Amino acid sequence: MKKILFLAVLLVAGADSHSQVTYERLLGAPREPQNWLTYSGRYSGWRYSILNQVNTDNAARLGMRWAFQVADLGQFETTPIVVDGVLYGTGQNGRAFALDARTGRAIWRYQRNLPAKLQPCCGMVNRGFAILGDRLFMATLDAHVIALDAKTGNLLWDVTSADYHKAYTFTVAPLAVKNEVIVGISGGEYGIRGFIDAYDAATGRRLWRFETVPGPGQPGHETWAGESWRTGGVPAWITGSYDPELNLVYWPTGNPSPSNYGGERGGDNLYSNSMLALDADTGKLKWYFQFTPHDLYDYDATQIPILVDADWEGHPRKLLIQANRNGFFYVLDRTDGKFLFAKAFGTVTWAKGIDPDGKPIVNRPNPAGTRVCPGAPGLTNWFAPSYDPQTKLLYVATSTECDVFTSSPQPYRAGHDFLGSVYVPDPVERPTGALEAFDVLTGTEKWSFPYFSSPNGGALSTSGGVVFAGDSDGNFIVLDAKTGRDIWHVQLGAAIYSTAITFELDGMQYVVIPAGSTLFAFALP
Amino acid sequence: MNLGHRSIFLQKAPGPSAGIAALLSATLLGGLLIPNLATAAGKPTSNSAEGKAAAIKEGASLFRANCSPCHGLSARGGGRGPDLSSGRWTHGSTDSAMFRTITQGVPGTEMPANGFQDAEIWAIIAYLRSLAPPDHPLAPGDPVNGKKIFFGSSGCSNCHMVKGSGGLLGPDLSRVAASRSVAYLIDSIRRPDQELSGGMLDPNNHYGLPLVYDTVTVVTTSGARITGVARNEDSFSVQLLATDQSLQLFLKKDVKEVIHERKSLMPPYLEEALSTSQLQDLISYLETLRGEETGPKEGR
Repeated sequence: MKKILFLAVLLVAGADSHSQVTYERLLGAPREPQNWLTYSGRYSGWRYSILNQVNTDNAARLGMRWAFQVADLGQFETTPIVVDGVLYGTGQNGRAFALDARTGRAIWRYQRNLPAKLQPCCGMVNRGFAILGDRLFMATLDAHVIALDAKTGNLLWDVTSADYHKAYTFTVAPLAVKNEVIVGISGGEYGIRGFIDAYDAATGRRLWRFETVPGPGQPGHETWAGESWRTGGVPAWITGSYDPELNLVYWPTGNPSPSNYGGERGGDNLYSNSMLALDADTGKLKWYFQFTPHDLYDYDATQIPILVDADWEGHPRKLLIQANRNGFFYVLDRTDGKFLFAKAFGTVTWAKGIDPDGKPIVNRPNPAGTRVCPGAPGLTNWFAPSYDPQTKLLYVATSTECDVFTSSPQPYRAGHDFLGSVYVPDPVERPTGALEAFDVLTGTEKWSFPYFSSPNGGALSTSGGVVFAGDSDGNFIVLDAKTGRDIWHVQLGAAIYSTAITFELDGMQYVVIPAGSTLFAFALP
Repeated sequence: MNLGHRSIFLQKAPGPSAGIAALLSATLLGGLLIPNLATAAGKPTSNSAEGKAAAIKEGASLFRANCSPCHGLSARGGGRGPDLSSGRWTHGSTDSAMFRTITQGVPGTEMPANGFQDAEIWAIIAYLRSLAPPDHPLAPGDPVNGKKIFFGSSGCSNCHMVKGSGGLLGPDLSRVAASRSVAYLIDSIRRPDQELSGGMLDPNNHYGLPLVYDTVTVVTTSGARITGVARNEDSFSVQLLATDQSLQLFLKKDVKEVIHERKSLMPPYLEEALSTSQLQDLISYLETLRGEETGPKEGR
């Protein structure tokens, strides 16, 4: 009996040292800079930390503290979660792990047994966990959502969201809100019919689904010619942001299918390439804003929505900022979706501009081949932007690629590529990239740090006045947030396909970034 | 869709391709394609889709989406992949050899393994067999004389290597005929600036290997100019193979300027430098350069 009591005491003590990540803690994530609790670090999508131990004066002295090898191939796109000294990450091919954040030593590893034939468009990738309570949530490549025990990696529940045989797949990091785990589907290259789902964190029961392609009788259905809605695509593959005051989840959507041929899907194709504002409790659509109607160039709007409160024309306003893949920088009112402002933030040829209602003034393409800027990878893409409230700058990784598109009808077959075209990068101009800093309200460029190659990694800013970035040539780079001057860089040996996070442990600020198949942790000596 | 390097850049995950899969997939396709007979070993050996209009159309569509970035929209050869319309395929021209080449790729080349369903592969093969052979853009020449031109008068071998002999600056041409169409070769000789490389379509490009042959000049702080091809480059450094064939490694912060020119280091060989008859001979020689076949030799 005594033994049992002793054990019980130990269990309680254990629970104390790794306390539960409540919804209240997620709301207060900005005040817990020692941890990294959500995909973007906070619900407003900023990917900003108030840690400042690493700053413009000393960042050049950063050194590696540890490295963790996933020991698998493919793009390593995770954003880790860090809670009370433990780091949780997902890897390629259905892998996941928990590490001692001080040493990089694995506490557990998880490997999902994936079916042989899976069709994610762009690699067997995953972008990370969400955490709530003592559970981690992962959306899997075979279109399931699962819950793992944070201490052991044991599987707690596993629900099927969609049929992977039809090329439905998940790559997204879920968003935990209240008791919900919210996810968006991938598969826009395969004629899926997209959705955003919320699951009960306790049981895995689906609480709501928002279908991103409206069916018969639903508003917006009329924006799809004929039966094209059935294979309309519109995935939702990047983690949304959340405003607890308005109780709205802001979740962006991707391209209509087939992505590069619009002949059989006449109309605006709602809600493709849009920002959706969904009631967090019901999934009901509060408002939407479509950036690229009837898209032909794969301009997914899957860039993290940045929620900023600021004076707009003399009045305080709740804003949503997005530097969109289509090449325009947008400011919306996030209470009602009202369009406030847009401007091109790079070379844009597919549209002449944006009209006062927020609609693009489109140049129509020649099906035999048109050079279009930005190209299919977009002026920017899914990699995280970062907003620094000190500089009031939005840091965005950009690409200069323009593509030559050709377009042709293509019959739909379940589980099969559904693109309606091929495109090739413009053979004349070699694509490069940059990390650019834009005034968050005007989209005016303040500085630009040139990348030799098109990027696949985003940005993290901190109150230390530095921006952490990674390029496709394998460089992890620290820049001065005000000027873009490169303070320090290190070659990590493989392309960076994700964005850094930061946390604090034993009074030391760590910065963690994946490159190749390895997670690297840096700190000052 | 995530990034530029999607289906056309990515190898599909290879999957099982047994005869039963062909039967199943043909059923899934609503009988569009006729299922292939499987041998006892489960390996299909012949293409019952051959000559079937629907299969050819299907194969054309698949080819366009998956193969054209390297082999050209009409299979007439692209910057990276050879002409596939010739009726003669380097790695075997039998149905089973072509099937193997598509599913397994060609080790040691840029041709990747592909995860098509069996019925899809048969459709692609049916499409390729339906193509008219290309017009040969040149009359046949004398390969023996062509070799002399290559290693002598025209100076090709100053920069290009064939089977261990020659220079380092340009691409090794030991198996160029197996990977480039004749039209592409002529273009590369007459107008080398036209297309510098398939670098941007290279699946390795996102690992930071530019693999381009444009001219790069580094201007040092003392004003010296070193010209060559960049074997690699990023925001901070450049690894140059200079025209004297030495490796020159620079940190960008230590040099005055790095200049990229959209022109090849290779001079254009126009009529006055290389007559049509010399070009015929040279091309005939280059056409013999197919390297070693990697698969078992099979007749059709």
